[in-house]
Amino acid sequence: MSAPHDLRAAIARDLTPVKPLRSPWVRALALAPLAAAIVFAVPALHFFRSDIGALGFVRAWGFSYAQAVAGIVIVAAALRESIPGRALSRAALWWIIAGGLGLPAVVLALTTSTFDIGPAPGRAWMDGLGCFRASAGASVPALICAALLVARAFPLRPGVAGALYGLGCGLIADAGLRLYCEYSAPPHMVFAHGGAILGAMFAGVLVAWISGPRPS
Amino acid sequence: MPPEAKKEMDAPERELCALMEGYLDGRIEAFDGLHAALSGRIRGYLLSQCRDAALADDLLQDTFMQIHRSRRTYEPGRPVTPWVFAIARHVYLMKRRSTGRRLRFEDTLAAEAKSSDVPQDDLRALVEKDEVRRALEQVPADQRQALLLHHVEGWSFVEIAARLGIRVNAAKTRAFRGMKKMRGQLK
Repeated sequence: MSAPHDLRAAIARDLTPVKPLRSPWVRALALAPLAAAIVFAVPALHFFRSDIGALGFVRAWGFSYAQAVAGIVIVAAALRESIPGRALSRAALWWIIAGGLGLPAVVLALTTSTFDIGPAPGRAWMDGLGCFRASAGASVPALICAALLVARAFPLRPGVAGALYGLGCGLIADAGLRLYCEYSAPPHMVFAHGGAILGAMFAGVLVAWISGPRPS
Repeated sequence: MPPEAKKEMDAPERELCALMEGYLDGRIEAFDGLHAALSGRIRGYLLSQCRDAALADDLLQDTFMQIHRSRRTYEPGRPVTPWVFAIARHVYLMKRRSTGRRLRFEDTLAAEAKSSDVPQDDLRALVEKDEVRRALEQVPADQRQALLLHHVEGWSFVEIAARLGIRVNAAKTRAFRGMKKMRGQLK
């Protein structure tokens, strides 16, 4: 079947050589310098947790950068999801989301021996809000960068791609937050830290929906 | 893609890869080859989804336009077929969604027409309605033209683009903005 004349003419009018996008993994690496800066900037702009010396280099910086790398890997999954025909399976999606949400808990479990360090009585709300704000604010630059990377592709399920890159960016921001906040009490960790990661995820969904493909 | 994965592809798929790479290089013959190799299968798929031959033809053109717009997302060396069919499926789903929206809009117009006692038979008659006509008059001429051709005459955006000598995206934008403006006027 040969192409209809009007279609062929429309294509011919616009036909210029294009450079294909690089692989999702390579494109996700564009986020690496920003992620490294975010991890350092969150405590640097506030203050470093008082027990950072006691934690040691690996458990403080090593774990934070490992979490940031996990965030970049999840952004790479979002970039892969944004290529037609390379959508992630439902099982893979669940594993990535569960793993991403569970990772901060695992990191916390590996770096603390007691889960009862929390805000002083009456300060739970204020301290929680402070951590939420710091994490949400830190995830914004990464979110913008990831959204631009995804928008250059063609996400057929923008909500899914957005949830993934939002989660990845939330993890990157949380990697910085854990160098600043030394609390380990579950309510604070779940609502302030986990809430900020979920917030980044929802922000990703929203941005992806707004910038995603529209019906004609 | 790793070379061993490329080896695993069958000969027709490897041929499609070569055509796709030629298309990325800007060769129209490569597009012709891709169209010849894929259009039958894509049309069959679209027909199985929408069960309407004319609509399937329309969607086939839209699919090739979308393939053209997003050709940079193709990763050289990877199989072309899943990439193409994912786009075809997307085009079909978007069409289904927009048709649903349009039908809802037409239902609203029909309900408005019923509420006034003027007998109205079809959408063409509705356009004649004073209120709708007044709203249409407020829409800029270029947007009105695209809106009427698509929503009243039922032309595809590819056809509108060819007729008006504009890009398909521009045709869509004009129709969309026109519809938005008209809705605003009707509120």
